[in-house]
Amino acid sequence: MPEWVRPAADYMFHEGLRSTLEIAAISLVGALVVGILLGTLLTIDFRPLRAVIRLYIEVWRGLPILVTIFIIFFALPAASPSLEFSPLTSAAIGLILWGSAQVAEATRGAVGSIPREQHEAAAALGFGWVGRHVFVILPQAFRRLLPPVVGLLVNIIQNTTIAQVIGANELLESGERSVERLTAPPPIGLGEVHAFEIYGAVMVVFFAISFPLTRLAAYLERRLA
Amino acid sequence: MTAHLAILASSFLGDLWTYVSDYGRELAFGLRRTIQVSAIAIAGAFFIGLVLGAARAHRVPVVSQLAAVYVEVIRNTPILVQIFMLYFALPEIGIRLDAFTVAWLSVMLWGGAFNTENFRAGFEAVPERYREAAFGLGFGRVAAFVNVTLPIGGRIALPSSINTYISVLKNTSLLYVISYPELTTTALQINALTLQTVETFTVLAVIYLALVWTMSAGIRLLERHLALPEAR
Repeated sequence: MPEWVRPAADYMFHEGLRSTLEIAAISLVGALVVGILLGTLLTIDFRPLRAVIRLYIEVWRGLPILVTIFIIFFALPAASPSLEFSPLTSAAIGLILWGSAQVAEATRGAVGSIPREQHEAAAALGFGWVGRHVFVILPQAFRRLLPPVVGLLVNIIQNTTIAQVIGANELLESGERSVERLTAPPPIGLGEVHAFEIYGAVMVVFFAISFPLTRLAAYLERRLA
Repeated sequence: MTAHLAILASSFLGDLWTYVSDYGRELAFGLRRTIQVSAIAIAGAFFIGLVLGAARAHRVPVVSQLAAVYVEVIRNTPILVQIFMLYFALPEIGIRLDAFTVAWLSVMLWGGAFNTENFRAGFEAVPERYREAAFGLGFGRVAAFVNVTLPIGGRIALPSSINTYISVLKNTSLLYVISYPELTTTALQINALTLQTVETFTVLAVIYLALVWTMSAGIRLLERHLALPEAR
């Protein structure tokens, strides 16, 4: 193996992949919490509330994620200096807005698929609206929610690369920095271009993470359908 | 308080108006390139999806396996990395593509992979008895596909394939990384020159939402128009 591979790989795994997984984990948890809450509220028959949540879903689903992340990273600080976030946080917020819109839509369908009798039985046992949903409806709805959530995780992991555009040091950015360092003339780098090998490796890593997850999503879909 | 907000809002709308009248021409150029690249990519993705989707559904040897590899590679790697590969990595092995070629090619290959799955699912959803009936009437394999599987399966695949086209349009914004001057790149260049950040991103977001919402409204119309008689 050529000598340059080891340090570049170390850098990309320890800095890049770590940030990628960090952004992905924060975004997934955030998207689930916000999305399940909004999706459950969407089943309440109260028009103004539904209209507001619908607008939220359509806006963050409709915008390209890159534009959302640009808005958070560039436009929010311009509107008010207190709203300045690091590249990593901005990317996570952007992915949470987009992901929660997807989860909300899926949750609405999953909660709606639970039979009326379940609501009535829980109400008869003395559960209020919150208790009924938290202890009775959502645990049952989660079964239906699982395949789309695994699919969402794959999408979130792949979309973490968009953080590269605003300079967050995730896997793709760490790859780009490695390419640039190796291209630099000798005292700093080698004066050699290794873009093909490095971006190829980035692709392989993403494939190795995503492929088993897409299989899992397809399997869950078949089993739980 | 309300009066104060109303004044703020109207002065912001005034700013937006000035912004659009100052930079509308540049934005329109960017928008035209976004639409142009999307149109080429969508047309290409339609044909890729149709051909490879049919090959997958009917298990055409070799083509079907190659199509499966293509679909899995594209779907399981980020499109941004694919754009990097085409634009920054291929020159190393002697393949130089200009920004415009990478622009339509990258989003077309991505859309084609998702569309292959859309069409495969559509064609596979056509009941076997319809094809048997076609064979019974003396249709060959190709004629049965063109006259039976395609019109029925194509309709089933239509909504999901339009969703893919919407994603193709949204993905053209990623061409910012290769500085292809489509809408997002143009908006960021104007922003860098003018520092009118809030106006820039408001206008950018409104244009994308107008495009995407129009396309999704189109899906709902088409869905109703092309619904199969039994599903109605």
